Amino acid sequence: MHETAATKASALSLLEEQQGITRDLLGRLAHAGPRFWLVVTVLGILFIVGIVGVVLRLQGGLADRAKWGYYAATFAFLLTAFQGAPIVSLATRMVKGHWRRPLARASELFAVVGVLSSVLFLIMLNIIPPVQGRRTLWFEWPVGAPYLFDSLAVIFLAVCGLGLLYTAALPDIAAARDRVPGGRKGLWTALALDWQGTPEQWRLQKVALGVLGGFYLMFFVFTHLLVSVDYVMALVPGWKDNIFPAFHALVGLQSGVAITLVALGLLRWVGGYKKYIDMEQFWGLSKLLLALSLLWFYFQWSAFITFWYGKQPGEQSVLTFLMFGPYAGLYLTAFLCGFLLPFLLLIWNVVRRSTVGPFLAGCIVLVGAFADRLRLYVAAFSVEDIKLHALETVPATHLPDSADLMIMIGMVAGAILMYLLATRIVPPVSVWEVKEMLHYRVVRMFMKTRVVVLAKPE
Amino acid sequence: MQERVQISDEQINRELLSGVLHTPLWFWGLVLLLGAVAGVGVIAAGFLVYFGVGVLGLNRPVFWGFLITNFVFWVGISHAGVMISAILRLTQAEWRRPVTRAAEVLTIFALSTAALFPLIHTGRPWRALYWVFPYDFSRGIWPNVRSPLIWDPSAIFTYLTGTILFVFIALVPDLGMVRDRTTGWRHKLYSVLSLGWEGNPRQWRLQAVAGILLSALILPVFVSVHSIVSWDFGMAVAVETWHATVFAPYFVIGAVHSGVSAVVTMMALLLWIFKLKNYIRPDHFDALGRLLVVVATAWLYFYVLDFFFGMYALEPQEIANRTLIMFQWPMSFMFVLFALASYFIPIPLWLSRKNRRNITLMFWSSILVNIGMWMERFQIIVPGLMRKEPFTFTWGGYAPTVVELAMVTGSFALVGLGLLIFSKFFPLIPAWEQKEGQLLQDEVQVGRAKVPGLVHE
Amino acid sequence: MAKRTALGLYKDAHAAAAAVENLKQGRFTDQDIDILSGTPYPEGAFGEHHIGHKLFVFPFIGAACGFSVGLLLTAGTQLSYPMVTGGKPILSVPPMAIIMYEGTMLGAILFTILGILFESRLPRVRKSVYDARITEGYVGIRVACDAQRFDAALNALKQAGADDVKFDTQPGAATA
Repeated sequence: MHETAATKASALSLLEEQQGITRDLLGRLAHAGPRFWLVVTVLGILFIVGIVGVVLRLQGGLADRAKWGYYAATFAFLLTAFQGAPIVSLATRMVKGHWRRPLARASELFAVVGVLSSVLFLIMLNIIPPVQGRRTLWFEWPVGAPYLFDSLAVIFLAVCGLGLLYTAALPDIAAARDRVPGGRKGLWTALALDWQGTPEQWRLQKVALGVLGGFYLMFFVFTHLLVSVDYVMALVPGWKDNIFPAFHALVGLQSGVAITLVALGLLRWVGGYKKYIDMEQFWGLSKLLLALSLLWFYFQWSAFITFWYGKQPGEQSVLTFLMFGPYAGLYLTAFLCGFLLPFLLLIWNVVRRSTVGPFLAGCIVLVGAFADRLRLYVAAFSVEDIKLHALETVPATHLPDSADLMIMIGMVAGAILMYLLATRIVPPVSVWEVKEMLHYRVVRMFMKTRVVVLAKPE
Repeated sequence: MQERVQISDEQINRELLSGVLHTPLWFWGLVLLLGAVAGVGVIAAGFLVYFGVGVLGLNRPVFWGFLITNFVFWVGISHAGVMISAILRLTQAEWRRPVTRAAEVLTIFALSTAALFPLIHTGRPWRALYWVFPYDFSRGIWPNVRSPLIWDPSAIFTYLTGTILFVFIALVPDLGMVRDRTTGWRHKLYSVLSLGWEGNPRQWRLQAVAGILLSALILPVFVSVHSIVSWDFGMAVAVETWHATVFAPYFVIGAVHSGVSAVVTMMALLLWIFKLKNYIRPDHFDALGRLLVVVATAWLYFYVLDFFFGMYALEPQEIANRTLIMFQWPMSFMFVLFALASYFIPIPLWLSRKNRRNITLMFWSSILVNIGMWMERFQIIVPGLMRKEPFTFTWGGYAPTVVELAMVTGSFALVGLGLLIFSKFFPLIPAWEQKEGQLLQDEVQVGRAKVPGLVHE
Repeated sequence: MAKRTALGLYKDAHAAAAAVENLKQGRFTDQDIDILSGTPYPEGAFGEHHIGHKLFVFPFIGAACGFSVGLLLTAGTQLSYPMVTGGKPILSVPPMAIIMYEGTMLGAILFTILGILFESRLPRVRKSVYDARITEGYVGIRVACDAQRFDAALNALKQAGADDVKFDTQPGAATA
């Protein structure tokens, strides 16, 4: 355990190892292969198709709310899955596990989608009527509700996410400024803000990450509360459900983990980051995903059993409307993909301790999250008279038209596009965090067996 | 953990067994005192059974008062054990080591005490047996499984059984150690209890796997128990303020909040009473304090959801209930006390590292939290009933009688007594886990600094 | 052939590992050697083989049993006293699900406990050579072998630097 000649020799190779990592990860910033640009082009075209879909939708105006259901669901999906991903990084940072290091940046990068979701939100902002004369979260508050406060929340979440990404990536941006040749040097120099890597700067960065992380989590939950209540619950007469905002946010956390798993899988197998992204990352996230999938069921069950038991007509209508009636197929998909299939997959240790299993579970959960957002927003937007006391007749299923399909595919493609373009500026595997791990992870002999010693600086 | 000690196994055994093998005078004094208080509670219960429920302060419309509040409170405290033991074991947090067994034993006694109250509060507890046992006691009447009052016994029984067995299995290595250090009748007793434990690799391997597997199994039970208790209220349609979908996670997170605070209280007491400064260190309180800040904030979120969305539909019962709680004396006074005690005094204090490492401060602030949480349960149950009808002529009040106060006070003494007597037979701090923790300590040289690390297999 | 047992006690765990090494070089198998400690060491620290177990089977069997009991209880009671309460059907699935869930978990936990005891081979009825110092921090290396190889076993234990060596005085008997 003390320094010997052997460890002195390995200390030198530690430096070489770190240099190797820097060269490798930053080298990928310099050039992207033709495959990358092909994917970007395809996504770009799909995004343009999506924009066309939005324009087509706008041509119909905001008066017919039912037509905007799929649009709203797409926005909600971006808010849920894409903007939920950074929480994976900040939550695991709070717990100080070393396994999170290679995946941290991959999850933080999803914060860039906040820009797209903010724009989408602002477009549909006025789709809900003012709060006067109906039951809402705001109790007919005269000023700013709900439009100002909701937009502030969505925008602030996006800004906070970008701030979090920027703070976390700052050392790597500085490294890119120093080591990567090419046209983006000016951009990196401007962004790096004269980062030198002094102890004071590192300390400030740590504090900033803690504060921004806390803010992001709180704002994420708060934004989900506002959006879910104003744009879903308040639009369904007779639906009073205190767990719903928490459920809405929980699906965000769950799909954030899922989308990080998908990103990790793609980075590992398609992106060539196999050396950095290992089974340990998938294993750690799979445990989180299992717990969150169980919570999915728990929150849904709490709502269901409360409504089912009382047999009150208003609540029975809500159950039929949202779960067992016109959107039963979507609910079944959400149930299967949000809970049952991930649960059945991830209870097995063998599956959790693999790379393919959690990746598959992540894909399934994303499908479930999208189905869930669709059933909630399409259903809520399809209600004609939102000022009724209770839902007397359950509206029929509202099916998507071509503009809706264009929007759904296009905006998700746009989100992925933004992520990919962001990886040209910031490496998707955190260079400084992976290098830092080399200090703290040592393989040693413990009597007759090999063990890993993980150090945790306080 | 930064404060690392290396003590010999022999010293660990000696210090952690001192409570079992030696009985100082104060122990008997404390047992007598707690026994007396618990005895008064038992007498009060006997009083209730003999004279009937009229001796309680209950009357239309408040049919559930102090006794049921106490029931929910103790079920809440019982959530500490699994939170600390199972979740920290699964996340491999090293600082759990001294805390696990005491927290699990607190769970056992808190849950057993809690289970007494729904039976006693009926006034004729023997009649309540037919709820619990699916046996045709009276002419073909079977329990109504559709009622949450029947879901309760199944959940509590499962949780209690699971926790008792979990504690026992994890206790076996230490029972072997006690067997090795005792003679006479004690040696015979512990030889039987330790089941012939030797400490070979197979037994240790199964201990490790058992810890993880049982933790994973008991965690869903832990979530379900307080959810089911919350559904005693949540299912009710007649009491509008209770009819909320958020009750299950709200109650569970509140239970974790009060439970973990109770563990802090208990750890401070263990440290002071048994002089265990080598095992219970400021680091543990620091970690518990940080956990509590997160848990308490999550609890606040769910509390706000319940409180706020209760008002969402502007139903008259909800408005009346909130008006009562917030603006009418004495409920308003209790509301302010509750808010300050359960969150707004302790959590700002716990944000500072210096405060978290101050054991006396942690002790008193954790007691404050539980005072607040007891009031929180009361404020959910009683005001809801007081304003459950929209007709003001059916509104009622509630004041506890001395019988209820005696039983509630007795319950605290009962739990304390249980813990004390347990400590006389079994070490409350797991000796083998302490030894394992020491063995797995290591350090890594980073430049000139030695960073503490942990061995992972 | 009568078996004899010897137990070497080592204050230093490395010496204990050396003893295991000596024994293995003396062609004693993993089945003959047992390592007794008061603290769990990382697996393989003494060069012992990996312990296999089938513990994970038990919770599944227990869960199945618990599920069945829960189903019988809930469905049985509801069918035996078919009274409609609160507008709910005679066989109400959601409440049944709750009680069946608890039953399943209880079954799983109970059978897991049984499995732990079974796989740990506890309770141990047959007495064997043991020493109370093991829970004080000594590591015990116990070897069971035929009488002819007994001396070789004793030598292997002593050569590693045993602080004490105990053995049964007669074949098959144990000393406390």
